[in-house]
Amino acid sequence: MALEAKFMEMGAGDILRCAQEHKAAGWRFVQLLCTNTDDGIDVQYSYMKDQLIENWTVKGVSKEDHLPSITGEFLAAFVFENESHDLFGVQIDNIAIDFGGRFYDLAMAEPMTVISPEQKAAREKAAKIAAAKAAKEQQAAAGAPAAGADADLEAKLAGMDPEKAAKVRAAMAAKAKKDVAGKAASADAELEAKLAGMDPEKAAKVRAAMEAKKARAAAQQETEGKGE
Amino acid sequence: MGKATVIPFGPQHPVLPEPLHLDLVVEDEKVIEAIPQIGFIHRGLEKLVETRDYNQFIYVAERICGICAFGHSMGYAETVERLMGIEIPDRAKMLRVIWHELSRVHSHILWMGLAADAFGFESLFMHCWRLRERVLDLFEATTGGRVIFSVVRVGGVNRDISDEQLKQFVDVLDGIKGEYKEICDTFLTDRSVKNRTVGVGYISYDDALAMSMVGPFVRASGVKQDVRMLRNDGYAFLDGFEPVIDPQGDCYARVKVRALEVLQAIDIIEEMIRKLVPGEIAVPVKGNPADGAEACNVLEQPRGECYYYARGNGTKNLARMRMRTPTSQNLAGMTTALAGCDLADVNMIVLTIDPCISCTER
Repeated sequence: MALEAKFMEMGAGDILRCAQEHKAAGWRFVQLLCTNTDDGIDVQYSYMKDQLIENWTVKGVSKEDHLPSITGEFLAAFVFENESHDLFGVQIDNIAIDFGGRFYDLAMAEPMTVISPEQKAAREKAAKIAAAKAAKEQQAAAGAPAAGADADLEAKLAGMDPEKAAKVRAAMAAKAKKDVAGKAASADAELEAKLAGMDPEKAAKVRAAMEAKKARAAAQQETEGKGE
Repeated sequence: MGKATVIPFGPQHPVLPEPLHLDLVVEDEKVIEAIPQIGFIHRGLEKLVETRDYNQFIYVAERICGICAFGHSMGYAETVERLMGIEIPDRAKMLRVIWHELSRVHSHILWMGLAADAFGFESLFMHCWRLRERVLDLFEATTGGRVIFSVVRVGGVNRDISDEQLKQFVDVLDGIKGEYKEICDTFLTDRSVKNRTVGVGYISYDDALAMSMVGPFVRASGVKQDVRMLRNDGYAFLDGFEPVIDPQGDCYARVKVRALEVLQAIDIIEEMIRKLVPGEIAVPVKGNPADGAEACNVLEQPRGECYYYARGNGTKNLARMRMRTPTSQNLAGMTTALAGCDLADVNMIVLTIDPCISCTER
């Protein structure tokens, strides 16, 4: 009988009904929490019965919204409702023990809604990483149909006259070679453009390094050729 | 019937161990209504998840309270492990239970000392706290700390307990058990204790349920509610678990439940030591909690059930960390228990819920 937790969403209009239904069914109130998000405040109500915790979230509550109090059903919620008001600015009506914004002695209003520069920077970084990952996945997904298209082509060629199929294959190989050469040329052109924009001394060093690398690669190829 | 008068009680008061304010509406010597107020020491520790990563925050979590320090670090770590789908080694789970139950022993004995002090039994207070020192010595020997332990980490624990230390554990606990039984007998049978506690601050079974109370406070009203019964994590290794309950619902019942829970906690520690499996004490933890991932957890702290919630945002910092402590859940029950009591009993009733405002105002 290990703990089970469920997370569900509801509308602001369902808060009271949800509390009444849970109370009638013998659930107990566990807690109320708020989370500050870009779309507003998420207000979460938790109820527990036996080993099950149900967490019901009202998403994107704004500071202008008024939520009903559930202290009529569960008096224990008065602490959390006052806390939600003082720390997050959530408006809750008819709290059984209402401190009117003086529950916590705070140095500033609604401190939990302030997004620190560290948090903002971390969120932006995470968003960039997520976007890059999504783009990579999209690229990979786009590559998959290409492989499928190759398979279709091969099937078509298998059904063709062998001489004609050989001609088609040769044409495709030539095209692929041309594409590779074109890409290499465009990469070279791009590099040249970059070097032109660099400090001349640094550009000369980069050129020398690249030439040395090419020479090393050629020497290695020659050695491998002799060995064979 | 006299005129209603409001008496401000706390936040600084000789019988209050924590900064809690009560507006007591009294008629003659009877309390008609009690309105609690906290908020004098709010620290905003939950906000620190934005600037401390999920590994660093464990050290913040255990600083929420000096008595429930171990429980908070354990509850937080278990929640993050649920959030990230981390399965920790069995030995680590069992070590956590040993230390957590040892926390319960020291917390309850500390509370019993405070209760004895509140009803004027000074020598009993001293005996309780003397015994508690030996429990703290065990913490010091195995974790290096007496109040803040820094022994739990996300993925397991930082320190193992050697066979030699385990033997020391058993020897010390055996010694404590003998002495504790004498103290326990005094609490449960002495006339001066009963005079101040029997029939005082009554909460019925139905009220206890209606107020969503937790911990020894609810169990002393006969409600069989203890999240250790769920056998989560390390508690799954126990042969069985039956919570200590008492149907009386008064201050005496709360004293009795806590007094017997000390012996139960010692039995749990001894069972865990007998069953302790060899092996690793931690697993490496990589990556960050996923964006939008949520997890919650409950842990039976000495003062009652504590609820933990974590939400990830794809970074090393959590988007939200929540700790709902037992005292915040018991404040409504406390106001119910205070209504109708004698003014002289207010301190006993407040003490028997074992309030921790430090936890409540994280």
